[in-house]
Amino acid sequence: MSSSEIKFDPIQFEVIRNVLLEATEEMTVALRRSAYSTNIKTRADFSCAFFDRELQAVAQAFAQPSHLGSLAEFVPRAIREYGVENLGPGDAILSNHPYLGGVHLNDITLMSPVYHQDELFGYVASLAHHVDVGGGAPASIGAFREVFQEGIIIPPVKLVDHGEIVDDVFRLVLEQIRSKRETAGDFRAQIAANNTGIRRIVSLLDQKGADTVAYYINELLDYTERRTRAEIAALPQGSFSADGYVDNDGFTDKPVYLAGKMVIDADGVLFDLTGCDPQRRAPVNSTHAQTFAACAYVLKALIDPDIPVNAGFYRLVRMIAPSGTVVNCAPPGPVVGGWETQMRVSDILLKALAVVLPERVPAGTKAMMAQLGFGGTDPRSGELYAYYETMAGGYGGRATSDGPDAVQAHSQNTENAPVEETEINYPVRILRYELVENSEGAGEYRGGLGLRRDYLFDHEVSFTILADRDRWGPEGLFGGEDGEVARYVLNPDAEAAKLGSKVTVHLEPGDVVSYRTCGGGGYNPPGERHPQAVLRDVRDGKISLERARDTYRVAINTNTWTVDMEETAKLRQNND
Amino acid sequence: MTSRYRLGIDIGGTFTDATLIDENTGEIRIGKVPSTPEDPSIGFTNATDRMLLEASVAPDEVEYLVHGTTVATNAIIEKKVAPTGFITTDGFRDLLEIQRQIRPTLYDLHFEKPRPLAPRYLCFGIPERLDAQGNVLTPLDEDALADAAQQLKHENMTAVAVCFLHSYINPAHEKRAGDILREVFPGAIVSLSSEVAPEFREYFRASTTVINACIRPIVANYLRRIEDRLREKGISAALLVMQSSGGVFTFASASEKPVFMVESGPAAGVIAATYLGTALGNPDVISFDMGGTTAKAGLIQHGTPRVTKEYEVGTAAQSGVGASRGAGYPIRTPVLDLVEIGAGGGSIAWVDSGGILRVGPQSAGADPGPVCYGKGGVEPTITDANLVLGRLNPSYFLGGEIELEVEAARDAIREKCAKPLGMGVVETAHGIVEIANTAMTNALRLVSVQRGYDPRDFVLVAFGGAGPVHANRLAIEVQIPKTIIPMSPGTTSAMGLLVTDLKHDYSRTLIQRVDQVDTGMVANIYRELEADGRASLEREGMNPSDISFLHQVDMRYVGQSYELTIPLPGGKLGAAEIEDVHSRFHSEHHRAYGYSASAEPVEFVNLRLSAIGKINKPHLRQIDADNSPLSAAQKVVRSVYFAECQGYVECPIYDRYRLSAGAVLEGPAIVEELDATTLIHPGYHALVDGFGNLILTKTP
Repeated sequence: MSSSEIKFDPIQFEVIRNVLLEATEEMTVALRRSAYSTNIKTRADFSCAFFDRELQAVAQAFAQPSHLGSLAEFVPRAIREYGVENLGPGDAILSNHPYLGGVHLNDITLMSPVYHQDELFGYVASLAHHVDVGGGAPASIGAFREVFQEGIIIPPVKLVDHGEIVDDVFRLVLEQIRSKRETAGDFRAQIAANNTGIRRIVSLLDQKGADTVAYYINELLDYTERRTRAEIAALPQGSFSADGYVDNDGFTDKPVYLAGKMVIDADGVLFDLTGCDPQRRAPVNSTHAQTFAACAYVLKALIDPDIPVNAGFYRLVRMIAPSGTVVNCAPPGPVVGGWETQMRVSDILLKALAVVLPERVPAGTKAMMAQLGFGGTDPRSGELYAYYETMAGGYGGRATSDGPDAVQAHSQNTENAPVEETEINYPVRILRYELVENSEGAGEYRGGLGLRRDYLFDHEVSFTILADRDRWGPEGLFGGEDGEVARYVLNPDAEAAKLGSKVTVHLEPGDVVSYRTCGGGGYNPPGERHPQAVLRDVRDGKISLERARDTYRVAINTNTWTVDMEETAKLRQNND
Repeated sequence: MTSRYRLGIDIGGTFTDATLIDENTGEIRIGKVPSTPEDPSIGFTNATDRMLLEASVAPDEVEYLVHGTTVATNAIIEKKVAPTGFITTDGFRDLLEIQRQIRPTLYDLHFEKPRPLAPRYLCFGIPERLDAQGNVLTPLDEDALADAAQQLKHENMTAVAVCFLHSYINPAHEKRAGDILREVFPGAIVSLSSEVAPEFREYFRASTTVINACIRPIVANYLRRIEDRLREKGISAALLVMQSSGGVFTFASASEKPVFMVESGPAAGVIAATYLGTALGNPDVISFDMGGTTAKAGLIQHGTPRVTKEYEVGTAAQSGVGASRGAGYPIRTPVLDLVEIGAGGGSIAWVDSGGILRVGPQSAGADPGPVCYGKGGVEPTITDANLVLGRLNPSYFLGGEIELEVEAARDAIREKCAKPLGMGVVETAHGIVEIANTAMTNALRLVSVQRGYDPRDFVLVAFGGAGPVHANRLAIEVQIPKTIIPMSPGTTSAMGLLVTDLKHDYSRTLIQRVDQVDTGMVANIYRELEADGRASLEREGMNPSDISFLHQVDMRYVGQSYELTIPLPGGKLGAAEIEDVHSRFHSEHHRAYGYSASAEPVEFVNLRLSAIGKINKPHLRQIDADNSPLSAAQKVVRSVYFAECQGYVECPIYDRYRLSAGAVLEGPAIVEELDATTLIHPGYHALVDGFGNLILTKTP
C-alpha cells in the first residue's frame, strides 16, 4: 500500500504516535540504567530521539530542555555530512562537533540508521553529557581561548560498523579522556539505547507497514504544527524586546551584552537576537543549536505542555542569531561556557514578555548553568579522575507565588549528586550543602534562596568554576528586588579570597572552595508581602529579623512568633 | 475438624472488601461494605462483622487476619502527618528543602517543589561527622543534640527523624542521638535512618526516615484502634498488615516501620497473581490489574515479583523520563515494581485541540462515573465504549445492581467524540478501546520487554473489575501466549492478602570490589541481619523451622551509579560463590541492558536480606466437572462488536457460575459474572480449569 492510498484514521494515528514516543522513552531508560557516570544516571543529562528518512525530528524523550532542538539541528547535519549512503544496517556514527550543530564538546551524540526489510526508514539518536572529553582542565570545562583547548572534537565517524565497535576509533577517542572507564561504559550504554530504539521501531513497522507509519509520521508533524499554531495565535501578538548582560567573559571584566526580541504573529514566533555582542575569545559563546534550545524552551513554556516536540513544533520557531556573535559562535571560538549565555537568553526573552504576560512569567531566575569541575590523581588509587556537577539557585518570584528555593531553571533540570555518593567515589569532602540565607530578591512574592556547597580536598586538585552572576543578581520584576549575587570563595573560614566566576584554580591539600549561587528576583515590591509570609521566613531562618524589618517592613515578636501588627503598620506607613 | 478461617480486609476509596477463606475447604467468601474515610476503622469492623455473620463464623475461629490499607499513603497525600522534627549533620540542615534540586515539571513556570514534611525551623544540624568509611572525623556534640531535643520538646513535636551522613556504615552517632532524644524528650517517637533504611545517598535515606517518623503516630493509632475493636469482639487472630513489598508484618512491626507499608494496597493484587500462577504451574507471570481509574502491570519471575527501590510517595501515577521526577517524596524501601497508567474503566475519552481522539488520564472515577451509570457523568469513558460495543451487559453490571444506560453512552460518544472527528459512533467507541489498549500495551511492554523480559515466556493473569474485558486483546498485542482470568476478578486483590508470608526486609551498604571483598565482613553483616530477622519473626510467633532467609546483593560495575540486585544463595561467600555471583551479575546485566563487560571490575554496593516466616497457603478450591453441556451455561446471544469480524456478530454469553471444569468456549464469546466480564476474541478459546479459572489461548 502506498501512502497516497491510506485514508486518515484518528485511532491509528493515536496508536502510532504513542508507540513512537514510547520507543524514545525506552531508549532513555536503557541509557540511564546502563550508563556509568553519575552525570547520566543520577543527573539525567541525556536525550534520545527518532528521525524519519528525511531527517525530520519525529519523537524525542528527554529530561533536560537544553536538548530541545539541539538534537533536531545536529543529527540531520551530522548525518548529511557523513553521507546517508555511507550508513548501513548495524552502523552507528558518533559526533560532538559544535560547528555542525552540536553544543559543547561534552555532549556526544550517537546516531544509528533504522532499516526495515533492507530499506532505510529513519534514524535513532542518543545524546549524553560525558563527564570528561579531554582538554585543558578536568571535566573539560574552563576558560580557554579556542575550541581546540576544550577537548576532543569528534567529526561524524563510525563507532559501530555492522554491529561491531570500531576499535581504532574507540581507542583513539578514549585516549584523549581522563575518565576512560566511565566514558567507555557510557558509550556502550548509548549503543544499547540506540539498539533498543531500533528494535521497537522495527517491530512497529512489522506490525503496521512502513508506508502506513511514514504516512502517520507526516500527519503527526502536521498535527503538532496545527496545535502549536493555535496556541501561538492565543498569545499576545506583536514585537517584544529586552536586554541584559552576562557579568564578564572570564578573561576580561567587560560585560557581555545580550539583546532579545520576540515577534509573535501568524507565521509563528521569530526570536531575533541581532545586537548581541560579537563572540569573544573567551568561554561565553553559545552555538547556534544551544541558543535555539533557549528560544524553543521559552515557546514551549508558553503553550499547552501536552503538545509533542517534533519538527512540526520546530517549524514555527524561527531564530535570527548572526554568525560570529556570542549567540552563534563561529570557528574556532570556544563554546564550553555557552550555557551561561544561553540560560540568560531565556531569562531575557521571558522578561520581554513580562509587560504583556505579567501573570505568566517569573522574575529573573538563576539563569546560569553554574558548572563546576575538579580532578587530579585520586590518592586512594593513584588513578586520574574528573568530577563535574551543576548547582541550583533561586527561582524568580511569580505573580501568585514565591520563587522556589534552590532549584534548576529554564533549559536545565539536572539533579544534584548525593554527598555520600560523591565522597565514596571521589577524594573530596563536602563540608556544607545548604540554602544561602537572605539571598532572595525581596518582593511581595520573593525570589528563591541560592544554594551553597563547600568542597575540601586533601590532595592537589584543579578546580574549575564556570558560572556567572557574581556581579549582578537576577532581576526583580514590577518593583521586586534583584536576587543576591553569587559568591565563589576560596578558604571561607581562613584568609578568604574571592574567586572569579569563570576560572580554573590550583588547590593545595587543605584548601576549601565555597560555591554559593544567587537568589532569584522578587516580584512586586517587598512592602506588599503578606506579613505572615515574612514571619514564616524569619522563623525558618531563611531571612533575618533585620531584613524583615528593613526590607519587608514587618516587625516580628520572636518570643511569641507573631507579627507585631501595630509596629508593622507603622513601618509600612512611614515608608509609603 | 475444628473450623479455621483467614480474613482479609482491604480498604479502598469507595469500598472496603472482605475476603474469608475456610482453611479446611479452601472455600472463599467475599463481601463489600462502603468505606468510611473519616475513620476507616469503622468500615473495617463493619466488614468484619458482616462477613462473620454471613458466614456464621465465630470470632475465635478466625486464626489470621491481614489488612491492606492506604492509611499511610493518604496521610502523606493529605499532609495529615504528625508534627516532625529532623536532626542531621551540621552543614546539611537543608537536605529536605533542597531535595534533588529539580523541578517536577519541565515547562511549567509556576511549578512548586514538594513541601518539606518538617519545616526548616524544626531541622537541626548537629556537629558530628563520619567519613565514607565510617571513621569519626568529628565526635557527636551531645550538648548540641540535647539542646535540639529540648527545643523539639518545647515545640510539641510528636516524632523525630535522625539522619547523619554515612550512618549507613556506622550507626554509632545515630544510636547515641536516639538515646539522648529519648532521655531529654521521653514521649518522642524517634526514627533513625540507620534502622529504617541504612543505604547510602543521604536525601533518599533522610526522606524515607522522615516519612516513617511522620506517619508513625497516625498508623500506630489507627492500628491500635482496630486491634482494640477486634479484641472487644473476641477476635484473637494474629493481626497482620500487607507491606509494599508483598510480604506481611504484624501490627506491632507496622507501627514501628510504617514506611514499609505505604503501597500496601496495590501489592496484594500482584501477590494474588503470583500465588495463582505458581499454583497452576506458571511461576512466570505478568499481572494486569485494571480498575476504575488506573491500570497496573507487574512482573513475576520464578514465583517472585519484581521489586523496585526507586519510589516516590505522595504523587500521582507517573510515566516517562523526567516527566514527574521530584514530584513526591522518595522512599527507599522495597516496593513491588508496578507500571501504573491512567487507564481505567472510568478514563475519559476526549478530542484534543489538534482533532485527535485521546483517552485519559482524566477519569470520571466512581462518582459520577461513566455516563452509562446515570449518576450525572457527561464525559464518555472506556466503560461507555465497551457498553456500546456490546461487550458489557447493561442489565448485569455488578450483578444487576445498576442498570446501565446504553443510549446515554452512545449519545455522549457521538456528541463529544464522533461528531468532532467526523466518524461513526461505533467506529469511535472501538477507537476509544483501541487507544486505551495501546496505552495498556505500552504498560505491559514497559514492565517486560523494557526490563529485558520476553513476554512470550510469561502468562498474563488479568483481574480487577475492568481487566478481563481487555485482557485477551492485550495478550495478543504483546504476544503473551496464555491468559488466566481468576474467579471473581474484582476481588482477586483482596485474596492476595491471604496468600503471602511474613516478611522483614533489611539492607546494609557495603561498597567493595567483588575481587577484594572482605568475606568475613559480609558474613558478619549477614549474621547480624539474620539475627534481627529471626528475632522479629519469633516475636511475631513464628516457629524457627518455618523461618527462612533470602540473601541478595546489589552490584554494579565499578563507577556505575545504578545497581542490579543479584541473589546470593545462603549468604555464603567462598571462592566458588564469588565466581558464581560474578557471572550471574554479568548475565543479568546483559539481560537487562543488552550488554555486559566481563573484563570490567564489579563491586558490591548493598547487602540485602529478606527474613521470611512461612505461612501455610490455602488450597485453591476445585469446582465440579459434571460434564453438563456448554449450552446449559449459555445465557443468551448478544450482538457484540469485533474488529476481526468487521462489525457486530452474534456472540454467545455464558454464565461463569454455571461453567463446569473442562468446558471449552470458542471465541467470539463472553463470560459474565458478578464483578467482571471476560471477552474472548475470535481465534481464541477459553478452557475452564479445575478451579474455575478461565485459561485463554489461541485456538490451534
